Amino acid sequence: MIEFLQRAQNADGGWGYKLGGMSFVEPTAAVLLALSSDAQNAAAVQRARGALRQWQRADGGWGIARSDTESGWMTAWAVWALAASDADAAQRGAQWLLENSGIRVTDTAQAQSARTILKINAAITGWAWQPGDAAWVFPTALTLLALTAMQTRDHARVQEGILYLLDRAIPDSGWNIGNPFMVTSNLPPTVENTALALIALRRLNVENEITQRARDWLAQESFTPTAFEWAWRAWYWKTITAPLERARAALQTLQRADGSLDGNPLTTALALMGTRAP
Amino acid sequence: MKKISRRDLLRLALGGGILAGGAVAYKQTESVGLAKWARWMLRGQMARVTPATRVALAAAPSYDADLASAVRAIWRDANGPDLQNATVVIKPNLVDFVPGRPCYTMPQVTKALIHFLRAEMRVKKIIVGEGMTFRRDPHAILFETGYRDMLAQADVEYVDLNYDDLVKIPLRGGYAKMDSLFMARTVAEADALISVPKLKTHHWTKISASVKNLFGIVPGAKYGFPKNTLHMRGIDAFLAELLDSLPTPKRFALVDGIVGLQGDGPLFGTAVPSGVLVGGSDFLAVDATCARLMGMEPAAIEILTFMAWAGLGQIDSNKIELRGAALDALRQNFELAPPL
Repeated sequence: MIEFLQRAQNADGGWGYKLGGMSFVEPTAAVLLALSSDAQNAAAVQRARGALRQWQRADGGWGIARSDTESGWMTAWAVWALAASDADAAQRGAQWLLENSGIRVTDTAQAQSARTILKINAAITGWAWQPGDAAWVFPTALTLLALTAMQTRDHARVQEGILYLLDRAIPDSGWNIGNPFMVTSNLPPTVENTALALIALRRLNVENEITQRARDWLAQESFTPTAFEWAWRAWYWKTITAPLERARAALQTLQRADGSLDGNPLTTALALMGTRAP
Repeated sequence: MKKISRRDLLRLALGGGILAGGAVAYKQTESVGLAKWARWMLRGQMARVTPATRVALAAAPSYDADLASAVRAIWRDANGPDLQNATVVIKPNLVDFVPGRPCYTMPQVTKALIHFLRAEMRVKKIIVGEGMTFRRDPHAILFETGYRDMLAQADVEYVDLNYDDLVKIPLRGGYAKMDSLFMARTVAEADALISVPKLKTHHWTKISASVKNLFGIVPGAKYGFPKNTLHMRGIDAFLAELLDSLPTPKRFALVDGIVGLQGDGPLFGTAVPSGVLVGGSDFLAVDATCARLMGMEPAAIEILTFMAWAGLGQIDSNKIELRGAALDALRQNFELAPPL
């Protein structure tokens, strides 16, 4: 996997979602996190850090790529990836995250409507994919991880982010993309949202019935055997120091001849982070 | 004090009327500007005097039927574009996989279209692309829906439009108050886009067919999952923007109505065995025909009336020339989606 990631680095120092694809902030930050613990990757890591610093916008945030002129959700990835090495850049990014949130519904009628149709408390918000949008599980959990890396876990926004995740949990188990219910039906949990929410809550020392049910669901065998899902599960299991043999075996089966998972640097980085020895 | 003459009174009334009319026009157009509003309105009026557009229907009782012949008949009857040597992106609706819910375009329809494009259109390249709405990973849905095997057997490339290389395209309309939009390079640089949606009811747009299916060509990497930031600009306005600004020179729609979805769409509705494929180059005319097949009046569907008013296609039955199977024989009343 490491060799694939080294080969997949673009000339600008970043990584795309596919070999030879344009660089995006998310895969660049994820690969940086996956490679940074090993001294043999020092050159690639330095180039990646330089790319992220270069792509940071004047407001402190990051767009999805260099060509994006609006800061958004990938800021959390960049902050997390630079937290240990580039304090100034990461701090400015963290500030952007703290100053931006998903929409908060304050109108009583709208809040009641959200309660009925979506079964959520819309007065509680987290983080959005883009400014001006509602909050969603993935960017909220990712931002909580980034802010935790920046030692801001006591901030009121972090505490509200925790409440947001707990409010949006599906009653049976796990998380969908945002609301747990839509009009007539509970939404099904998805692996990436459930795993990321669990990782974030674990880092923030939140353990309760909601996390336990989600953890049990994530341990079930009945998933579609995709590398992306196995990588997320492995990462969560590693976070809670659960056995990784199943995930390692599944990912090994799915690994391509070029060493990648799905030919995708992001998925490969997630798998590497989830399966390598601590 | 001078007495106001009758003539002065008339002048005052006229001036007041002009001012009031101006105020109403200003109010109606202030969100987009008078020039754009007038352009849409004029284009809509021009559409009333253009020749009728063709939409073709083909009866297809099941997914085991001879769908290749049905696709060929639809293409011929609807005057489908010549795609020889073209790079074609097929965009099915793979919004999600929910067991027991027919919410996605069945692979048999896409497979028949691939076969037709290769064997009879002699296209240069076919790409199947989708930017799924709810899940970040396409592989699970491709596996569950049968697309993974179908695409492998057909040897067709799949491109995840959520994570493709991006280009910024200018938006022409001004409906959604956006100047530009990120779009997957694969779509932006293709010669043709074929929208292959599922015939469905939808809780926001009432129906989901060839126009609503276009949401899948914008990248989730930028606009999130479920691309809600674009919904918040007004679904009707954003879809009008997208349809008006599509960079692909040629387009066609082929709707999978062999088994449709009614009620709680776009995901949790129930099956309706409608037994029909619908096709045409005018996406609005195709969707208006779909509405009629579902027992709905297009004039009562806001997204269709808005786009027709703006001149983006035809919805008036007098301006849609139906070919192929008889609509009345295939019509089934779909249960509407519960309103939000």
